[in-house]
Amino acid sequence: MTLQNKRLTEEEFLKQRQEILTHWPTGKDVDLQEAVDYLKKVPEHKNFAAKLRKASEEGITLAQPRAGVALVDEHIKLLQYLQNEGGADLLPNTIDSYTRQNRYNECQVGIEESIKENRSMLNGFPVVNHGVKNCRKVLEAVELPLQARHGTPDARLLTEIIHAGGWTSNEGGGISYNIPYAKSVSLEKTILDWQYCDRLTGMYEEMGVEINREPFGPLTGTLVPPSMSNAVAIIEGLLAAEQGVKNLTLGYGQCGNLVQDVAAIRTLVEQASEYFKTYGYDIELTTVFHQWMGGFPADESKAFGVISWGAATAALAGATKVIVKTPHEAMGIPTMEANAQGIKATKQVLNLLKGQRLTMSKELQAEMQLIKAETKCILDKVFELGKGDLAVGTVKAFETGVMDIPFAPSKYNAGKILPARDNNGAVRYLEFGNIPMSKDIKDFNRQLLEARAKTEGRDVSFQMVVDDIYAVGKGTLVGRPENK
Amino acid sequence: MKKNIVLGVIGADCHAVGNKVLDYAFTEAGFEVINIGVLSSQEDFINAAIETNASAILVSSLYGHGEIDCRGLREKCEEAGLKDILLYAGGNLVVGKQEWAPVQKRFEDMGFNRVYAPGTSPQVGIKHLKEDLQII
Repeated sequence: MTLQNKRLTEEEFLKQRQEILTHWPTGKDVDLQEAVDYLKKVPEHKNFAAKLRKASEEGITLAQPRAGVALVDEHIKLLQYLQNEGGADLLPNTIDSYTRQNRYNECQVGIEESIKENRSMLNGFPVVNHGVKNCRKVLEAVELPLQARHGTPDARLLTEIIHAGGWTSNEGGGISYNIPYAKSVSLEKTILDWQYCDRLTGMYEEMGVEINREPFGPLTGTLVPPSMSNAVAIIEGLLAAEQGVKNLTLGYGQCGNLVQDVAAIRTLVEQASEYFKTYGYDIELTTVFHQWMGGFPADESKAFGVISWGAATAALAGATKVIVKTPHEAMGIPTMEANAQGIKATKQVLNLLKGQRLTMSKELQAEMQLIKAETKCILDKVFELGKGDLAVGTVKAFETGVMDIPFAPSKYNAGKILPARDNNGAVRYLEFGNIPMSKDIKDFNRQLLEARAKTEGRDVSFQMVVDDIYAVGKGTLVGRPENK
Repeated sequence: MKKNIVLGVIGADCHAVGNKVLDYAFTEAGFEVINIGVLSSQEDFINAAIETNASAILVSSLYGHGEIDCRGLREKCEEAGLKDILLYAGGNLVVGKQEWAPVQKRFEDMGFNRVYAPGTSPQVGIKHLKEDLQII
């Protein structure tokens, strides 16, 4: 199949579908019409799209944790705890890493070992192995909307199963679930595979069932400059819209400087809305802000500080929801108690800041202008490379390093750019690689980093980047040299 | 002569940031780093070690499946003729916050020479590797 940004025909979709549903035995339990009938009976307070719409209208920020374990009953217990004790507004089902690589046989080993060892040996819920019936069992055991959160380059079977199972939101995208999550899967393949997922979402919409879609904003979660992540979010939003997605949540991962973070969320909404309008898509747009995705302090009290700062920024930016971290972040997967603590700390801050927004200032305006200008430089070139076709342009943009995500594992990513923080902790481009920014923008980024280097009495270098990667874990935003 | 070491992230794990930092740090420290990157199988590690006559294999795991993924690596190294190769493991090796001593013991019992708790600085591993390889 040739890649283009065009809605899949019914014939193309059904041809793939026939094969996809045979990839694991649970695929045979998916029946689209029966699923639509089931989803129409799911009460509105358990529909993800409806809950986000309501939050957006009320101007509040919802809190959502990450969580998932190997076994169904344990998973239900975990979600009920996060709902009842943690006070989560939306619930996740974090999917394990073997499922993400379509290694369902290894999931089976993990499930069996988890039973034997009486502890979860998987880092998430192996949803494909558990199948439609168990997805519904989870939904029926809670009173909140459910979403799948994963990192799966080929999520076609997963998407079929979760929606038939009554989960009304799916995270991911052809870029954001490839470049940060795979080593050697081509972008052509993942964009095509996510067109399938988005088309399925579109079909549910056409049959009267609202499904929310959320491209993964933070990418590698490590010093990603806002203009690069916003460019990816806008592209994935446009690709999803073409397949018939109507309810879309675009995301961004906290960098740590308040003005830059607020500017990133606001420009994301403004610019994405302009592109949707230009290309004639009618989209219900909301936003998600991810609390700090990089390395965390191991000390739990310090971790709460990082969590609360993320909550405050999400509220002041006016994000529709915030994805919550936990005090166990530095150690890996949290206990359910630690997970609930993260939600409670977050909600306390969200409630305190309810209704407050960061007001416009000269600094905020300048930052918004900069992010918009940088994002436009990237997107203009992507459209040009694709001769107007966004899907083709995206593949070419990664091939040529016009789009480039720092610290990504994929061999389809150029890996030429480097980010670093300026004196105020805002993330700037240290190396532009082949990103087509104007000279003014390049000079301005450089100037800010030179200013930091001068403060620190050293040259702008890769060591600065390494120091920034570890800084938050050690208690500061900017990675200053230790002798200073 | 520079010592060759194989570096990578094992299993279905795609955490790439620490991998790039370790590559940078061990290279700076004078090692020849053969970085096989993320999503690497035990076979990938062993093949790279054989091809490059490596002195050590450094295994990272950040996502919690490390325990399943690392099992049998020592035995496979033996079978492949990598008799006394140094095996190091580090990262977030198990699911969740667990007491460190038993986790370390579990990995040592699997045949790892050095096992590192979350958040260990690359400099610690570099120091140990120099000791273990008797580089002054």
